[in-house]
Amino acid sequence: MAKQQIISLDAPQKMFTVTVDGKQVTVAEGTPVFDAVKKTGVELPAMCYHYAFSPFGSCGICLVEVEGKSNNVRSCTAKVADGMVVRTNTDKMIEARKTAVEKWLIIHPLDCPVCDADGKCELQDLTYNLGVYDIKKGVKKQVPEDTRSLVLDFNMERCILCGQCINVCKEVQEIDALAFYKKDGLTHVGAHEGVPLHCEFCGDCLAVCPVGAITSRFSKYAYKPWQLKKTQTTCTYCSDGCAITLETEGSKVLRVTSKLSYLSKFGHDVERGDGHGGLCVRGRFGFQFIQSEKRLSRPLAKVDGQQIEIPWFKAIPQIARKLMQIKETYGGQAIAGLISGRCSNDEVYLFQKLMRATLGSNNVDTAARYGHMNSILAMQKGLGIGRSTTSYKQITLSDVILVVGSNVTETNPVFSLRIKEAKRKFGAKVIVIDPIQTNMMKLSTHPLQVAMGGETAMLQGLVKAVIAEGVAFSGFMEKYPKAYETLRQATGSLSEESITQACGIAWDKIKEAATLLAQSKRGTIIWGEGIVSLSNGQDNVFRLMDLAHLCGLLEKPGAGIHPVCEENNEQGAVDMGGVPEFLPGQVAYANGRERFEALWNTSLPNAVGLTLPEIIEKAHQGEIKALYIVGENPIETLPASMKVREAFAKIDFIICQDPFLTKTGQMADFVLPATTYAEKTGTVTNMAGEINPLAQAFDPKGESRTDFKIFCEITKQINGNAMQSVEAVMHEINQSVPGYFNGERPTINPEHLAHYFENGFAEDVIKRYQGTNTHPSSDVVNDGIFRLVLGQSIYHSGKLSTQDEGLMKIYNKPTLKISEADATKLDIKTGDWVRVATATPNGPLPLVAVEMQESLPKSSVELAIEIMSSLPKGMVWFPEHFTNLKDLMEVEVDPVTHVPYFKSGLVSIKKVPLFDLSVVSSHSCAINRGEAAQPQDMNSPSPSL
Amino acid sequence: MTIRTFFKNVFFQEILKALKLTFKHSFVKEVTLQYPHQKLQLPDAHRGALGLLYYDDGVERCVGCDLCQAACPSHCIRVVSGEDQENGVLRRFATEFYIDMTKCVFCGFCVEACPVNALGMTKLYEYSTANKRSLIFDKPRLYEVGKNYYNDAKAYLVAHNQEKADESAEAWRYRFPSFTKQ
Amino acid sequence: MAESQLLEEKKSLPLLRTEELLVNMGPQHPSTHGVLKVVLTLEGERIIKSEPVLGFLHRGVEKLAETITYHQFIPHTDRLDYVCAMYNNFAYVRAVEKLLALKVPDRAEYLRTIIAEVQRIIGHLFWLGSQALDIGAMTVFFYTFRERELLLDIFDDLCGARLTTSWYRIGGVERDFTPKIIDDIYKFVADFPSKIDEYDTLLVNNRIWLARTKGIAYISAEDAVSFGLSGPTLRGSGVDYDLRKVAPYGAYDKVEWKVPLGKNGDTYDRYYIRMEEMRESTKIIKQCLDQLPEGPYLAYEPKVVIPAKDRVFTDMESMIYQFRLFTNGFNAPPGDIYCGTEAHKGELGFYIVSRGGGKPYRLKIRAPSFIHLGAFDHMAKGYMIADIVTIFGTYDIVMGECDR
Repeated sequence: MAKQQIISLDAPQKMFTVTVDGKQVTVAEGTPVFDAVKKTGVELPAMCYHYAFSPFGSCGICLVEVEGKSNNVRSCTAKVADGMVVRTNTDKMIEARKTAVEKWLIIHPLDCPVCDADGKCELQDLTYNLGVYDIKKGVKKQVPEDTRSLVLDFNMERCILCGQCINVCKEVQEIDALAFYKKDGLTHVGAHEGVPLHCEFCGDCLAVCPVGAITSRFSKYAYKPWQLKKTQTTCTYCSDGCAITLETEGSKVLRVTSKLSYLSKFGHDVERGDGHGGLCVRGRFGFQFIQSEKRLSRPLAKVDGQQIEIPWFKAIPQIARKLMQIKETYGGQAIAGLISGRCSNDEVYLFQKLMRATLGSNNVDTAARYGHMNSILAMQKGLGIGRSTTSYKQITLSDVILVVGSNVTETNPVFSLRIKEAKRKFGAKVIVIDPIQTNMMKLSTHPLQVAMGGETAMLQGLVKAVIAEGVAFSGFMEKYPKAYETLRQATGSLSEESITQACGIAWDKIKEAATLLAQSKRGTIIWGEGIVSLSNGQDNVFRLMDLAHLCGLLEKPGAGIHPVCEENNEQGAVDMGGVPEFLPGQVAYANGRERFEALWNTSLPNAVGLTLPEIIEKAHQGEIKALYIVGENPIETLPASMKVREAFAKIDFIICQDPFLTKTGQMADFVLPATTYAEKTGTVTNMAGEINPLAQAFDPKGESRTDFKIFCEITKQINGNAMQSVEAVMHEINQSVPGYFNGERPTINPEHLAHYFENGFAEDVIKRYQGTNTHPSSDVVNDGIFRLVLGQSIYHSGKLSTQDEGLMKIYNKPTLKISEADATKLDIKTGDWVRVATATPNGPLPLVAVEMQESLPKSSVELAIEIMSSLPKGMVWFPEHFTNLKDLMEVEVDPVTHVPYFKSGLVSIKKVPLFDLSVVSSHSCAINRGEAAQPQDMNSPSPSL
Repeated sequence: MTIRTFFKNVFFQEILKALKLTFKHSFVKEVTLQYPHQKLQLPDAHRGALGLLYYDDGVERCVGCDLCQAACPSHCIRVVSGEDQENGVLRRFATEFYIDMTKCVFCGFCVEACPVNALGMTKLYEYSTANKRSLIFDKPRLYEVGKNYYNDAKAYLVAHNQEKADESAEAWRYRFPSFTKQ
Repeated sequence: MAESQLLEEKKSLPLLRTEELLVNMGPQHPSTHGVLKVVLTLEGERIIKSEPVLGFLHRGVEKLAETITYHQFIPHTDRLDYVCAMYNNFAYVRAVEKLLALKVPDRAEYLRTIIAEVQRIIGHLFWLGSQALDIGAMTVFFYTFRERELLLDIFDDLCGARLTTSWYRIGGVERDFTPKIIDDIYKFVADFPSKIDEYDTLLVNNRIWLARTKGIAYISAEDAVSFGLSGPTLRGSGVDYDLRKVAPYGAYDKVEWKVPLGKNGDTYDRYYIRMEEMRESTKIIKQCLDQLPEGPYLAYEPKVVIPAKDRVFTDMESMIYQFRLFTNGFNAPPGDIYCGTEAHKGELGFYIVSRGGGKPYRLKIRAPSFIHLGAFDHMAKGYMIADIVTIFGTYDIVMGECDR
């Protein structure tokens, strides 16, 4: 396996002229002959080739004749030479290719009837296209199928040993989970040493497999490719917005595919930096929630404390009447709405219009409030645009990438491949700043594992280093000398030692990273939840923007800054005005009010709207009378210290609209069955601001309706006129947010920059660079007191994926992760059980008091523990998708952006002896008091652990 | 007009000739059958109702490859395939199998397509019913037809060169590759 | 019937109030051979104008062809002219073979020719029986159907169906003749000329038959050519045009036979030609059976022809071709072809536009019945209303093919 050559985007390349079948073509030095042939339009068949990774040369089908060489040449591995004369379709070559295919056919089992790949099989295609027939008989391989893995089955009888699965795993995913191994004299493919495979299960090996050697357990034997209806749509798990194809039969999704397959291996319509088109485990295998039995199919209404099914024609008028009653009695400000970041743009637009124009309430908020609003509000203030200033393609072609506080390989796995590709293919330098040694940090060129809470100091240090080293972007210094001077003065007061001490990184390394970023041609800064969901989130975004200014990332072509968010349409929800601060198009409410009043032909409320924490607080005070929740689940998302349940109990009228009956839904007066993304059309906006389509694959399940239709019907019931179609809403969005669907991207307005640098910048900067130890999470940690961080697992996304049987099959027993050093100290091994309780820096809260006062949200939980070497000392980590530990967290609401910070907190950990099971179960009962049993009883210890 | 034609016309000569012919036919053996009492001997190649077949040892032949569904020109076949995990052997088989006899055009393409000769056409043609829905044959019904008319189906397969009548037919049986669970 | 004559008649009755009468004939009329509707404008008993209204049996077969593979379309051709399915199969597979430039084995060519001629006899018998029945001679119907039944039994033995045969395949035929079938055909061929004489005894001099067919539905040779008529309808007017002679296919150029021609271009001449054609067909069948060569009945073209079942069970590559051909079909070269075949009604043509891939981009069927109906008004004008049934019959119309 030849190591893939790094393509230099900047150095000039030597060009060679090659003659292919009489046609002349000019290619760069080092190009494989295969690519040169491809350029002339000749499609050479090849089994082991894929444009996304380096050639392997195992199949021997891409043979060509090169003048002056007696032997046939494998065009994928051979490099071009100047003046080379290549012939592709001579009789000799065709015969040689046939022989190569025959070699596999002879030993291939007659499995087409039972093979899942039949119909989409390269061996079949090649046999047919090359016209291979009348081959001699041979002995078939006899290997039992390897079904030990949770997701993927390996059938070595069908395998043609092309090695694409291994290559995609090793080179594109950089996971290296697969390998060839020998067993009983035969070569097998599987996990190293032939152990059962357990990996990230991105399934890219499944996608590239040209035959049926790798099959998915989730859809095994259930389909043939030609039966399936294919619907091009967009994945709605994370904010990557990957294009996926839902392959359905009737109203059942049988598998999810993407562009990555043997059909796309030649990369005809792929430009440099377009990515390889693969998916992650969530996108590829997390489709079973769509056809889940647990989904609601009829509306529920609460009658005498019981939720009973009622028909739509009764539910909609009742809801409309009640909402109007509340509006007339208490005014619009008594109504509030929450919408999920997974709804489409059209739905968010319609929802906020329903809330604002029809119900007269500006209290509408979305899931972006959990963190992404920090990025948006900071960027709005500092730059005038609230979105990424770059694109996926630009990021792939960057030469320096700074990743701050984002475990991007877990949260946005496919996006992280872009960073990997930038490094692997184009030789980019990757700087990763994180307290945890994330996967991306392991792969990076400049890993900077800061101390817990050291990100702030690190960013201050980077800004200081750029100025101190004198490498700041000259364009910025010339254009805004005053702003530069302010920054220089503010950072001058910081000492190198204090920064080094606060972040735990030597000044030399900070200097090196800063210089690299400042001198980059196409630098990119990427930040994520490690910045925005922890306190001081907004300030850190401002610091990153300062750094971007100083490094010229906002001016240089190809450079940019890129916030990573969690849910698939958080960016679009904010763009569509799903937050109280903004009207559609991220227009500040006060500025855009008149225009939208004219557009919607109504009067909008005067009151400044309430954000999510404010809605909960007002509900506590009894001022919120009606709450309309769409796809959100605050009871399970927010920690108990927010007292969401108590707050909701005080609300008169709750409507919950969700495909599933959530904990929040159980409290609602009306539960409306909504649909999943597979059943609706619309658009979603990914974190880079690209608009992607959602397409309907089949009719909504049962009587459920799309969110869009429900909003339309409620609006129609109230005021008699409503949108008729998604197209009509898109047309209106085009009027209210011109150019949104035409790919017009707002650019940074120099006037806004100049204005901001003149007004308020100086004061902000001084605050931002006052001291080093401004991060509250960098408390001194005592013995037995740990900082608990809630993070994302690659197998899950939000709470939605916990409804998915497939993903739950892969990962349903969350464990508390602890560093090796701490485990040794506490004498804990993987699989032990520990008691986790809320703590203060001084020590654990007295446990007795907690148990006595059950109403207190703080308590303790028992959990299995697992050692994870990448964690720093003093930190424990838990996946946020599971609700076990979130109730231990304190909530801190950001004073400016109102983002609730609850993903980090102090806990005490104590080992629980395994025999003490009675204590364990009683505690878990205390926690789950009054709540229905969890679907997969995660708190009870299982003997296997 | 000659005298001869005149007489021909007057005496209706051509009609008399024809009457003579028809009279002669009174003594010819009848060619019709009294249907419900007498039944036609159908040739082996006859394309009648479809049935699903078992192997001689009682194993279902169908592996649920869905090729009949793809081959059917009137789209009357629907196969739902699934995984059978009995006895620790992973096997693909048809969990559901429907043939809509009201749509079927009796072309025999499904039999031609079947890579395991699980389908056969029988000489069954008397399945008219007052309930149209019962003409959608499901898997048990198809296996029942295949069982009751096994000889017909076998004869059909042999007549249409799908299967050999002799022992070598056993060698054609589709054997699942060693799909044992490890 | 000259229009001046009509005018004379009109003048002779000046006192009567006269007006044209519009009569809708069909679509549910026993002698319209299906669901044809004709709007007749009558002047007394005379037909002034007749306008066929088509489409009552439209099934969108041509559109359907665009959604299924070339192979899958064969059973659908059975349902065009449902009286003579074999000919439709033949015409279709010939068109596809022409598109693919596929060579069919010799034996297959003979088998195809024999069965095509058997089918021609069936078609003519069917026509004769029903035409005589329409005119009032019932006995002929029983006699012709008796012979037809024998032939349909041979079809049943051969391919398993009597009407919807689907026996032709792209590249050959589905199944070879068994010795029994060959015997049966020999027996039939030996016996059949005497049967044709029987029909002649009943009809050829019958004064009613003559009165109802002589001079009815006349069309001149020039008009017949310009209306695009073909088959016996054309040859009845004396135009010597038979695709089997003009562009020979099958084994027609290897056997001795004549093209019977008419003189007067009326229904009687067409009747005469059909009777003669049956005699010629008998000769063709006999010669073909005598010459029948040994060899495969299906071409060995793995990329086009579905592999033999025994190979599918044992060869990997045949298994692949089996799946590939049934799911995707073969890769037809891009291009368009027209291929006409002389069916018993006339020229049955298939026009196929291919853009590569396994399905036709467009498939157009030139059905003789449809073309012949174009001349209906011309041929019916001036005749009595009682003749309209004869005029329908003279074309041997089948609406399944006409409406498609």
